[in-house]
Amino acid sequence: MKKELIELRVNGRAHELAIEPNALLLDVLRQQLQLTGSKRGCDDSSCGACTVLIDGVAMMSCTLLAASCEGQEVTTIEGVSEHGSLAAIQKAYGDWGGAQCGYCTPGFIMTVKSLLAENSNPSEADIRMALSSNLCRCTGYNQMYQAIGSAIKAEREGLAVAGSGGGKG
Amino acid sequence: MSLPEFKLLRARELRQALEFLGKCAGSALPGQTARAPDSRERLSLHDSGLRVVAGGTDLIPSMKQKLFEPEYVLDLRAIRELRGIRPLADGGVEIGALTTLREIERSAFLRQHYPVLTEAAASVASPVLRNMGTIGGNICLDTRCLWYNQSLTWRKGCGFCIKKDGDLCHVAPGGAKCWAAFSGDTPPALLCLDAELELASATGTRRVALRDFYTGLGDNYRNLQRNELLTRVLLPASSAGFTGVYRKLRVRGSIDYPLAGVAVAMKRYNSHIADARIGITAVNPAPLLVAGASELLAGKTLDESLAEAAGDMAAKISKPLTTSALTPEYRREMIRVFTKRAVLAAAQAEN
Amino acid sequence: MNSKFSIIGKPTAMVDAAEKTTGSGKYTDDLSVPGMLVGKILHSPYPHARIKAIDTNKAEKLDGVVAVAVGQDAPKTYGILPVGHDEYPLALDKVRYVGDNVACVVATSEAIAERALELIDVDYEVLPGYFDPEESMKAKSDLIHDHKLNNIEKDYHHVFGDPERGLAEADQVAEARFISNEVTHAAMEPHSTLASFEIDPHTGKPGRLTVWSSTQVPYYLQHKLSLVLEMPMQQIRVIKPLVGGGFGGKSEVIPLEIIAAIAARKAKAPVKITYTREEVFWAHRGRPRTIIDLKTGVKKDGRITAVKARVVQDGGAYCSYGVVTILYSGALLGALYDIPNIQFDGYRVLTNKPACGAMRGHGTVNVRFAFESQLDELASAIGMDPAEIRRRNLLHSPCITVNGLRVQSYGLPECIEKTVERSGWKERKGKLAKGRGLGIACSHYVSGAANSIIRSDMPHSTVNIKIDRDGGVVVYTGASEIGQGSDTMTAQIAAETLGCSLSRIRVVAADTDLTPIDIGSYSSRVTFMAGNATLRAAGEVKKLIAAAAAKTMSCDPEDVVFRDDLITKKVCVGTDAVVRPAEQGSAASVSGRVEGQILRGSLQQKRKEEGPKESTTFEEAVVTAIDFHGALTGTGSYAPPAEARGGKHKGAGVGPSPAYSYSAQVAEVSVDEETGEVTVHKVWAAHDCGRALNPVSVEGQIIGSVWMGMGQALTEEMVWKDGMLMNPGLLEYRSPSSVESPEVEPIIVESVDPEGPFGAKECSEGSLAATIPAIANAIYDAVGVRLHESPFTPERVLAALRAKKLAKTLNLTEGIDPTAPSRFREHGGSLWFKGKGPERHPLDPSRQADAPAGGAD
Repeated sequence: MKKELIELRVNGRAHELAIEPNALLLDVLRQQLQLTGSKRGCDDSSCGACTVLIDGVAMMSCTLLAASCEGQEVTTIEGVSEHGSLAAIQKAYGDWGGAQCGYCTPGFIMTVKSLLAENSNPSEADIRMALSSNLCRCTGYNQMYQAIGSAIKAEREGLAVAGSGGGKG
Repeated sequence: MSLPEFKLLRARELRQALEFLGKCAGSALPGQTARAPDSRERLSLHDSGLRVVAGGTDLIPSMKQKLFEPEYVLDLRAIRELRGIRPLADGGVEIGALTTLREIERSAFLRQHYPVLTEAAASVASPVLRNMGTIGGNICLDTRCLWYNQSLTWRKGCGFCIKKDGDLCHVAPGGAKCWAAFSGDTPPALLCLDAELELASATGTRRVALRDFYTGLGDNYRNLQRNELLTRVLLPASSAGFTGVYRKLRVRGSIDYPLAGVAVAMKRYNSHIADARIGITAVNPAPLLVAGASELLAGKTLDESLAEAAGDMAAKISKPLTTSALTPEYRREMIRVFTKRAVLAAAQAEN
Repeated sequence: MNSKFSIIGKPTAMVDAAEKTTGSGKYTDDLSVPGMLVGKILHSPYPHARIKAIDTNKAEKLDGVVAVAVGQDAPKTYGILPVGHDEYPLALDKVRYVGDNVACVVATSEAIAERALELIDVDYEVLPGYFDPEESMKAKSDLIHDHKLNNIEKDYHHVFGDPERGLAEADQVAEARFISNEVTHAAMEPHSTLASFEIDPHTGKPGRLTVWSSTQVPYYLQHKLSLVLEMPMQQIRVIKPLVGGGFGGKSEVIPLEIIAAIAARKAKAPVKITYTREEVFWAHRGRPRTIIDLKTGVKKDGRITAVKARVVQDGGAYCSYGVVTILYSGALLGALYDIPNIQFDGYRVLTNKPACGAMRGHGTVNVRFAFESQLDELASAIGMDPAEIRRRNLLHSPCITVNGLRVQSYGLPECIEKTVERSGWKERKGKLAKGRGLGIACSHYVSGAANSIIRSDMPHSTVNIKIDRDGGVVVYTGASEIGQGSDTMTAQIAAETLGCSLSRIRVVAADTDLTPIDIGSYSSRVTFMAGNATLRAAGEVKKLIAAAAAKTMSCDPEDVVFRDDLITKKVCVGTDAVVRPAEQGSAASVSGRVEGQILRGSLQQKRKEEGPKESTTFEEAVVTAIDFHGALTGTGSYAPPAEARGGKHKGAGVGPSPAYSYSAQVAEVSVDEETGEVTVHKVWAAHDCGRALNPVSVEGQIIGSVWMGMGQALTEEMVWKDGMLMNPGLLEYRSPSSVESPEVEPIIVESVDPEGPFGAKECSEGSLAATIPAIANAIYDAVGVRLHESPFTPERVLAALRAKKLAKTLNLTEGIDPTAPSRFREHGGSLWFKGKGPERHPLDPSRQADAPAGGAD
């Protein structure tokens, strides 16, 4: 199949890529850009392990054509760590047992990022609803709620300390 | 699973999309030439040579299963003019077909004036899928069946089915009709709201009532010409101000398609019902408005037995078959129970 | 008394947490090597057929196709059990389920490989299929495996005590049939294997094979690869990258793992195969559909007098772990309660469906559902509180059960107490609003099997430790981290034993070239066995460091304490701690061997000048020890003691474990009486894990087990129609989402096992089995119907409610009473197929009404 040249912005960097028109964003991220943090867990857009942000909105990269994302900003799990350190949500997922096998974790973290960008103080019901886009087979979700609560707290305290930090999107 | 090969047409404007469609449907506009990805290449004009993709949540998994192997895929994601919710001067509203279900779910305007739609939109699949899926896509959603929504290898194992590649229906083996169930959540709500669709083609636009959009057949389920695109959904002012409730039968609290769904929109006058409409989904090859519901309920004071009568009426027209999990009998029974409950809840709901 | 530890018992983030939360960690499908090709497998469309011919010519000619492998490329059978070598990697003569493996295309891209699969022509002769185990057992001809008469893989008949007399003495006897439908692991990571051959420098031909695979059992994989590829084990290296969940689904050799190697050999290039989700469902190895005919007798005082169980498992087309599964279902009737008389008749039956295998709570879960439900029924019949009847039947540990299982630590009484207390059982049971109820149930599980599946005297786990001059500790363990925290457990035990900080420990795991043999992550064996091996290896190294430290501190090695990166003299309490000259002498002679060579170093000079010290840092002590001894290494291994290995009867090898975990749970549910929908509001789960080495992990395992049990109880089920799996995807196989998942309150009970590392036992499986009956019993409490078939889907619950009320009976479940299922429907689960099955083979004898599957009988 004839490849097309597209420019894809991923985690703040522009990449010029030759891709086949039927290439899925997930495959381009994983195979061409070696960003293997986004995972494939199903083939029917049900599991959410491939979740990324498109212009800040959580979407499933297994269900998007890569070429269709041209001109948009793609954020993957690899773009979440801050200055080489764990973001609060990443640290909290580790500390509170939010990740066991870790395969669904990148997708969950992207979903949580998108939730917190819209709602910095979600209720437990809000969190449950948001997380229901992603499937986890290890944790039964309970420890994720603790992790998210703790990350929100850490983020808030961090902002208080930093004085002017600016909300993360 | 890889997608089949196709050529991707990315439309940035509606006009461009309609031109692509026109070419593929064999009705190229005189005096205009569509810009194909490769200008030396002519667009193929053969049947179903093109599929339209918006949110992708329906088409992309189906293409992985090789249910569609079009020569062209027309990508609408970049068309801004088809996004957004625009209240009209007459009190109605126009919703662009590419408006995401998430935007609808969160629209304060729709929540206030057309709550049955926001509630139905909020129950579709999961939040992330609602970020992607559009109202147009939900209306045009392909019908579903466990014998159809399977991989190519799987379908080969059962000898294919009438909807795709085969000549019989595993659900109703005797007949020649496809019984795949329409499984969108928002159409029953939109039926209650008397929605109209704007269908555009390179030669012009037309409007059809949503209730005339579906054919009732599982395979050829919608009335949409090959050169046409669903561009807008219009809700009349006369449907504004109805309270609304949507109840969905699902095994899991998220992600799932409906196994049965009931939408109720109701207008009250003092203590009695001024008007009420009931729409059902996922139990027939088309979403249906329950005929006679208005007559049954209007002008009456609601009580349990009246709500039950409404439930019986809805159950009567639901004909689920073994197209999805849970027995048809159970799904039909739930149409009865959910209708009763939804009618009672709509009567209680704050306007 | 956790204060006596600095690392054990403290909530600890997993050592690989950052890799997982940043996405930098590599799972098998994330790996690529230069020149790597893609493999895709052709699967059988028929449930049972003879292969007459395979023509791969057209596929091979497709541009981009490098090779096509077929059965003849490796015509050797294998299987996880030595008694069950019945699988070919690629079918040789017969296919036995829809999804069986026929050929493998190797190509430059997935799309080309998929297209090539369409070009392979296979000529099949379709045979009658067997889908219902009770029908399959009547088969006389067209057997699934020629040497398995009546399609029975294995049957066992055990009698302990005198069950007939026990039942005769009972005041109350209950008898019922229970059915548990089939469930699968559905781990989030689909199986993936990458196989690559190196060129041998001496022969110039393909030599060593390296396989990266999503496996729970790297050594078994190495062993089976050796068998099928006919290569010596030492020419094969298996590396386990991160694994995205196992739950038993990766605890044996899965077809793609061997096919990838065969394909790489044929294509002369590295090949990666990653299953689609549908293929994961076909590979399966999940929990079999099980029919349990159970009869239990109790006295008026609640004492159980006898249990009789007939268990039939629908095992699918191959043996897999089947023999072990059926034995567990009988053996683990014991060791939870004190049951004096047990009769067990177990049948593992072959059918034309994907093979069932080991899944979380291997073998016990379905029988536990039946037993705990029946016990609840008996409690109600004799007017006893369901928690009380369980208390009346406790074991008196230490003991050996009637079927030969040794119990040394038994936290069940405390588990029951704690759940009863936390759930408000006494105050709330029977007083909840209409439609809401509480149910209790218990369960247990092994901490590893006392007898390995490969009969030998080798240790089940071995661990090596190496410490270098930098004070860094490297632990080499064959144990397989699959998300359960085994690497973290290993690091914690090593750090605690050596008294050093966790950050010093680096765990190198599950690489057959680097790490000593460990038989794998299954049957909850890792903490107990690999943990004990780690403890011993660390203890051995510690001795060397202690000797050196003692020398600098002029004390006996026995009297130094390792803690928090510091080595100090033991505080003398009384006369016990007085240094005895003889011991000091022997310790000195150990290190004295190399003293002469090493005493040149300036550090030693300096120390000598400083004289004896009161304490020394871990790092200093390590340097000193290395100066005395050379590199510090230690090895520890673990084999279960002979006393724990069980009785002598046929099949006695399965069930015995060095220790058992215990669980008691209370579930609170509500039932919508109009729709039959069940909501689980909360589960209180007390689990006796011996000692919680890492409480955050232990709680995670308890919650995860309970949650998975809830999935089996309410929503999960593999639905079949004539051998076609109707829901081979995560959209239609419904594992619960966060919305309907309940709060689980984990309650840790520590019975401190005498043989467990720091007293620890298993914590990852035992809780699952109690959840299903706890929910069933809560449904009974809520609305008065007892469900005998799982999952308790809304239609089953509603049908039961309708039957109870004699209300307008609707044919919601195909006319089968879900409270008393009499037969096993061919399509199992959802009961909704009334039409004919797939019309795919007009000549398929199994489709002809006058020739029923299995022939006449």
